[in-house]
Amino acid sequence: MTMEERRILIVDDDRDFAEAVACFLEANRFTVFKAYDGKQGVKLAKLERPDLILMDIMMNERTEGFFTIQELRRDAELKGIPIFVISSFCTHLPDFEIPESGGWMAHDMFFSKPVDLVQLLDKIRQRLEKAA
Amino acid sequence: MTEAAAPDTIVVIDDDYAMRLSCSKILSKMGLRVEAFENGARGLEGVAELKPGLVVVDLKMPGISGLEVISRVHEIDPQIIMVVITGYATIDTAVEAMKCGAYDFLPKPFSPDELRMIINRGLDRRRLALASQRGEVERALLKRRFVTFVSHQLRTPLVAIHQYLDVLKHLDQTKDDPARRQEWIDRCLKRTEELQKLITDWLTLARVEGGTLIKERVEVDLKPIISGILTSYEEMAAAEQVSLEAVWPEDALCVWGDRNCVNVLFDNLITNAIKYNKPGGKVTVTGCLSSGEAAIAVADTGVGIPEQYRPFLFDEFFRIKGEGVKRTEGSGLGLHISKQIVSEMGGSIEVESQAGIGSTFRVRLPAWCAPAEDTEMGGWE
Repeated sequence: MTMEERRILIVDDDRDFAEAVACFLEANRFTVFKAYDGKQGVKLAKLERPDLILMDIMMNERTEGFFTIQELRRDAELKGIPIFVISSFCTHLPDFEIPESGGWMAHDMFFSKPVDLVQLLDKIRQRLEKAA
Repeated sequence: MTEAAAPDTIVVIDDDYAMRLSCSKILSKMGLRVEAFENGARGLEGVAELKPGLVVVDLKMPGISGLEVISRVHEIDPQIIMVVITGYATIDTAVEAMKCGAYDFLPKPFSPDELRMIINRGLDRRRLALASQRGEVERALLKRRFVTFVSHQLRTPLVAIHQYLDVLKHLDQTKDDPARRQEWIDRCLKRTEELQKLITDWLTLARVEGGTLIKERVEVDLKPIISGILTSYEEMAAAEQVSLEAVWPEDALCVWGDRNCVNVLFDNLITNAIKYNKPGGKVTVTGCLSSGEAAIAVADTGVGIPEQYRPFLFDEFFRIKGEGVKRTEGSGLGLHISKQIVSEMGGSIEVESQAGIGSTFRVRLPAWCAPAEDTEMGGWE
């Protein structure tokens, strides 16, 4: 599979943010799916089996992203999908670095909002190459 | 402590052995834990120890009376639901028991079904009270995290705007689509409006705390103000498939107060009625003169406000959360500000709501003109 056919799921309750990032990734020839809350995100992840997930943290006035990541990590078939957290919740996630063993908050990378598009694209490509 | 309470435990206090036995039998079959005591003193010890969700008490017992038991139980925990049973049921004793804080009343003899129904109702009431209390704790936390909360609310629209602009900048010219570009500009404008409204609301909140919203006291005719608001939201209502209607008396409907505040007040109520409506729904604003007051009702045909949230509706930053609740932007301050405006103008605001049918906000403000004769107002009631 070439990089251009890779599938990315964006989980973010801000439709405008999701739309902007999705459009940018599509312009870079990714296939993008959008979910606007955690529940929809898990459902789409099961259905579409994305190669990578971009996850917001604060959704619907709570830290829904944390719970959603936990849920994805508990699912035997989904737990291997890399998750990049993109959030304005904080500028970094010091407490949530991924432990080698893979702890409860096993996201792969953290980006603060607004996201640097070039850097995001770069990291997505790197991560997917590694996976391949 | 409410946390330690056992909501599914029922305490029965009755001097009649047969009554204790039958209550225990019926209630344990409902899956409830039942502890029965033969007099008030023992019953109160039991209540203090078990922290039950509900207490069934006989009104007429030797020793401590049923009425006294009610108030002593509420000293232990005011949230415990009290159900009174009595053999000499009269309206007067029932009223007295209710005054003392009893939730419900069951005259002897009663059938097992009647007991079950009353107990279930009481337990539902209790669950609702607990849910409201949790809401209160949540709000206290929210207030403490005010700065974090406000920053997040400010940052969300800013991030969206930034991201749109950034993507537009990065998109290859050949992939640029003018229609999309136009749509994104519109969305950015919408988000900047959202930001401005947030900032206005927070500034108003600061003034609410100082109690100085009203800046002028002049004669304000409500009809043109409310008609103007309705006209300005026609487009938004059409997008939500909601129709707008106003029902007015022929004469002017004037109040004494601040024109800008009156505008903010009805703007908040009308936008809420549109936002929390259903497709195909309706917003009806009715106004009339009633007992020297201008009475305005803003009614929607939305999903309604669940009863447990109603006590907090006018609190700052309160917003109903949960599945099935429409996600809407905003500061969570609209109703709080509205209530403050109404009270500074010497009026009142109330809400009525029915699940699945809709909500009605009723505002009463002191009228500027002395009311005409009552017979003329009849038609508008």
